[in-house]
Amino acid sequence: MSDRGWIGLLLVAVGLAAVPALAAVFDFNSFYLVFLSGILFWTAQSTSWNILSGYSGYFSFGQGAFYGVGVYSMAVFFGRHGVDWLAATVIGGLLSMLLALAIGTIAFRLRSLRGEIFALLTLAVPFILAAVVRLSDTIDGGQGIIVPVPEYPDFLGSFQTFFFVASAVVGVLSLAVAFVMERTRYGWALFAIRDDEAVAEGLGVPTFKHKMISIAANGLIGGVSGAVLALNLGFVSVEGTFNLRVPLFVIVMSVLGGRNHWAGPMIGAIYIHTLQNRLADSGFDGWSLIVLGVILVLLVLLAPEGLMARFGRRPWAVGGVFASTLIGLGSWGGWGQPVDWLAVALGAAALVGFLPGRRGREMAGGRRAHHALEIFEGVPAPVEVGRPLVLADEAAKDFGGVHALRGVSVTISQGELVGLVGPNGSGKTTLVNLISGALPPTSGTLTLDGKDLVGMPQHRIAHLGIARTYQIPRPFHSLTVRDNVAIAIMFGRVPHGLEVAREAADEFLSLVGLHHLSDQLPGQVNLHERQLLEMARAMATRPVVLLLDEALAGLNPVEVDNAVAVVRRIHDSGVAIVFVEHVLRVVNQLATRIVVLDQGEVLAEGEPDIVMSDPAVIRAYLGKEGHARRQ
Amino acid sequence: MAVLAALLLVVAACGDGGSDATTTTAAAGTTTEGDTLGTEAPDTTGGEASGDPIVVGSTLPLTGFLSATGVIHQIAGQLYVDRLNDSGGLLGRPVEWNLIDDTSDGARIAELYEQLISQDGVDLIMGPYATPNILAAMPVAERHGYVLPQHTAVLAPALTYECQFPGWSIGPAPNEFIPNQLADVFDSLGDEVSTVALVTNEGGSTSFVSYGRPDVEEPSASTILPERGYEIVADVPYPIGNTEWGPIAVTLQEAQPDAVLVMGLGVEANGLIDAMEQLDYSPPMIFALFPAPGPLLGMGEAADGLLSVSMFEPNEPILAELDPELQDVTEEFSTRVEEADLPYSVFETQAAATWNAWSILVQGVEGAGSLDHQAICDYLHENGADLPFAGQVSFDPEQNNFWPSNQVIKQIQGGDWVVVWPEDRAASELAGPNG
Amino acid sequence: MSQLQATIFGALSGSLFAVMALGLSLVWGFLKIINLAHFGMILLGAYLTFELATTTGIDPIITVMIGAMAMFLFGAIVQAGFERWRVSEFNSLLISYGLLIITVQVVSNVWTADFQRMDSSVNPYAAQSLALGPLRFPLPTLIAAGFAVILVVAAKLILERTYSGRALQAFGQDRDIAGAFGIDHTKLGILLAGAAGATAAIGGMLHSLGESLHPDAPFEWVGRVFAIVILGGIGNVTGTLYAGLLVGGISGLTAAVWSPSASPFVVFSLVVLALVFRPTGLFPSKAGH
Repeated sequence: MSDRGWIGLLLVAVGLAAVPALAAVFDFNSFYLVFLSGILFWTAQSTSWNILSGYSGYFSFGQGAFYGVGVYSMAVFFGRHGVDWLAATVIGGLLSMLLALAIGTIAFRLRSLRGEIFALLTLAVPFILAAVVRLSDTIDGGQGIIVPVPEYPDFLGSFQTFFFVASAVVGVLSLAVAFVMERTRYGWALFAIRDDEAVAEGLGVPTFKHKMISIAANGLIGGVSGAVLALNLGFVSVEGTFNLRVPLFVIVMSVLGGRNHWAGPMIGAIYIHTLQNRLADSGFDGWSLIVLGVILVLLVLLAPEGLMARFGRRPWAVGGVFASTLIGLGSWGGWGQPVDWLAVALGAAALVGFLPGRRGREMAGGRRAHHALEIFEGVPAPVEVGRPLVLADEAAKDFGGVHALRGVSVTISQGELVGLVGPNGSGKTTLVNLISGALPPTSGTLTLDGKDLVGMPQHRIAHLGIARTYQIPRPFHSLTVRDNVAIAIMFGRVPHGLEVAREAADEFLSLVGLHHLSDQLPGQVNLHERQLLEMARAMATRPVVLLLDEALAGLNPVEVDNAVAVVRRIHDSGVAIVFVEHVLRVVNQLATRIVVLDQGEVLAEGEPDIVMSDPAVIRAYLGKEGHARRQ
Repeated sequence: MAVLAALLLVVAACGDGGSDATTTTAAAGTTTEGDTLGTEAPDTTGGEASGDPIVVGSTLPLTGFLSATGVIHQIAGQLYVDRLNDSGGLLGRPVEWNLIDDTSDGARIAELYEQLISQDGVDLIMGPYATPNILAAMPVAERHGYVLPQHTAVLAPALTYECQFPGWSIGPAPNEFIPNQLADVFDSLGDEVSTVALVTNEGGSTSFVSYGRPDVEEPSASTILPERGYEIVADVPYPIGNTEWGPIAVTLQEAQPDAVLVMGLGVEANGLIDAMEQLDYSPPMIFALFPAPGPLLGMGEAADGLLSVSMFEPNEPILAELDPELQDVTEEFSTRVEEADLPYSVFETQAAATWNAWSILVQGVEGAGSLDHQAICDYLHENGADLPFAGQVSFDPEQNNFWPSNQVIKQIQGGDWVVVWPEDRAASELAGPNG
Repeated sequence: MSQLQATIFGALSGSLFAVMALGLSLVWGFLKIINLAHFGMILLGAYLTFELATTTGIDPIITVMIGAMAMFLFGAIVQAGFERWRVSEFNSLLISYGLLIITVQVVSNVWTADFQRMDSSVNPYAAQSLALGPLRFPLPTLIAAGFAVILVVAAKLILERTYSGRALQAFGQDRDIAGAFGIDHTKLGILLAGAAGATAAIGGMLHSLGESLHPDAPFEWVGRVFAIVILGGIGNVTGTLYAGLLVGGISGLTAAVWSPSASPFVVFSLVVLALVFRPTGLFPSKAGH
């Protein structure tokens, strides 16, 4: 699988390198070089956008900012001040990357800046830049800047060849970066972040670092690509640079091509650029935008996951049709120009891609797989309670005016199975969130083995050994069951590569009895299985303390028994467990100790029998909801 | 899915190297000696053109924010080509115009002109519309050694390609010419005007007139007007695309200038006038530099007496002195514009500039007797051209080929634009400040 | 005093943009769809007003009734399409962009690319203003402010007092749970999108009262409209109005005191600050957004 990818990238690079040589030998007219340069420019812009927005899910409207910084760096340094064009390109890339890092520092630090808020932030940035550029006479002042033709090495022959080579270098660079990121841990981290960032952080993925890397790559490539393009613009103006064209088109191209694949944006760029060119030349006049709009709408409706996903199902057929159509029209030569042949070949390839048929990995609908459950027989093993691990001292948490926790002090020691119970709203999940680092306490301390946890990034807390599961399971939907676990191993205390992680994942899947479902997607397994997946994934971080948040919610009695057995197996492996539960029979069965919370305070704690017969506890339950079930 | 591919196929099929809706080819027939096309419009009674067509390639913004003026150039250009073909074509051959819509997108210009020249192999080119786009096309033309006649870039210092030829010229230094001409106009009004306000669109041509280039010490409206005795009491630059005129109107009302100089484009002056009206403020005189001509006429009293620059207005006295062929042209142009349902159908500066530009191209080719661009360029440098709407001009490379300006000042009188300055070319008398 | 006048100019103009932003904000907030075609509907509304007023001589404000009905249908049909094909939030952006460029091109073909402007005989409002002491309130944007208030009050009442409105709020907050309670989001969504379309038509009509029309105008509106949506809080009805007034007022004041070129800088810097410190908008409403 990965071999094919390398070959693809290599082919692209070699093919592009060959073009100037071929052009010289066959005396191609220079238009094709310029046309290809245009495609390469859009490839670089879209691919760099996709590295951030496609891979990590942080949808950016601000590609125009990076592009603009690049363009203006070239215009100001090279155009106005005569700095060497190569130096100006580097400056443009660096400035753009700095801007990206600045945006990332602001946007990614704040927890509230998720999803559409980030998109809006990036929308605003180009407007600010445009205003600054326009206001400042040092940069532009409004009149625009003329970018003269640069001096280029003689052996390249013509300016168009030079421009093509520069564009090709940037284009291939962008593809290479995307390729490498996708195939390595960076890509996996970004995909996990895209699927569920909070969960990824809790499993040990350093989300901030990876997001910064991806936005930095976006900025760097966008800036360099813009700077190179400026050499062919002749004249640079604020309105011509900071408009919606680049931000919107990179989105269109990436989505059309496919956001999950390094070559996706490139495919989109090829299609859109060719289409636009042919439409302009077609004499449709008043119809070209209509045609473009219609095609865009159709493509998004028909291929919402992008063309690459379609092509990937039958790559040889698609490639073959494309090549043969192109070569056929070319050798016949009886009609049209090469760009026309290209357009037809692309259309034919798209047609092949849209033919119904093999579906590959994706399954229709949300068909749930029914599999036999591996039932465990649990045998209670004697526990030896060891040293204290987690210490919460007067931990409190306020949400606005709501006091969710009012000074809770608990100790979790090695070897314990602590049941955390209490009526709804008593603060159980909040306590779990505090211990796992998902939320900071308003006051009080939390330590693990003496180390202060407050203020520590969640992924570091995970590496120190605290893991938690979620009441409503939150698997990474686009990854298989095995890969869900593998992520935790990849980004664990000791980093591992993907292949190693996948093998090691099997161990944890067996621990919970999910091995037979390793290749399923989470959407295809039932609730109980997904809860087991939560546990396996949490275990894969090799925690010393595991926090289970209502892991039995919604299960039937058989499943409950099975889950209990799994929890025991986990406990036997040496992990201290804190489990939040409502099902009291289970709590009695499992817990070595119970902590009862009520209205944010510890009401009682101790051995299960004693605590559950405490009148205050009974009053708390019956008084509140009246659903305490004693069995 | 089949629909999609079919669309792509249709698109590609229609794009066979640049056919478009505006091509015309005269039927084959007898050849004639090519008429020299100087001040005369193509003679419609001439013979038929025949043989392989000569293809002229260019782009225009037929859609997008520049399209309001782009379509004017399209209609005027097509009219020129049609009449040219009706009167024997160019070098006896029919002329075909390969026009591509650049969608007002400056970033596409270079690729499109490269396509026209390299892929489509056009014989000649014409410039696009609006200064930034012309500047983008220039390096491509220069690279291939193609003569570039253009019709609307007046930013002379930037147009350094020696084979670029302007159809409209405000001289080699519009930043000096315009302010001085304005000062002359105000001088003639005696003491009625002594203070002015400068309201400037920050884009290229207009900002250049008001302030000169940012890196260069050179005269401009902001220096010349005070030197000529006109105090600038308000100086407000605004960004391209500005639609908020209220605050600017407020500033002007506070400053109470005798004349408001709107160095702007399109409908910017309209917006400003509306805003001033809303303040019940009516400056004694208003000048707009490059407005869209039509919309101002519909503003009634508020825009009465407004001044602007022009190269040509079809006022009666001016038409009367014009070659009958050209009179015919202005009428046929109006007819075509009306048929295209465009609101303003008067043949004026923009159309005249296009007419000049095409005329330069044709004279150059005919004079050189060939399509060799170096020969054309040399011929034009040596002989100049006899422009329909400018007379005989010469092209001095030291001045970037910008010939001394024949610019006049026009004014809205009675709901129409009339030429009022200089006096020897005026169709009507300059009206002084209102109230 | 002149600063105040400039601010008034700006704030009233901002209320026009608030009308334009209202529909977009509601659809985004409640249906999770970023509908760029909304700008196309504003454009169509403006040109329809122009066409109807010019050909029939009816007062342009009255013609909006037809425009609003037409755009109601447009908006409803588009939403029905999104529902039918289960378009994701993300893809809705692209499809609506496609619809926008189609609309722009159609308008350009029908009404030409040249500037169109209602004559003063057809449109008496363009250059007029209401005088209150030394201050002037330009009529086109004053009317816009009036419509803005009416629309916002109406929207708020509907959202808070009617069953459909509250159902929409529930749907906007958690669509799965709302569905479990039997709320038919499809019909509600279509109604809302239609209503948004109608407000777009109104915005277009108001725009045509004071400006020359050009098919390319939507792209000039995008920035400011989005700024208002962001500052007002997505889906926050009253917030949109306040944000419009705020953005407009600040814009006008900056233009008068500093420079018109500085206005976008100030406005968008404000947007960034607001996003960082108050991501739910400057005017948080109780009704959960």
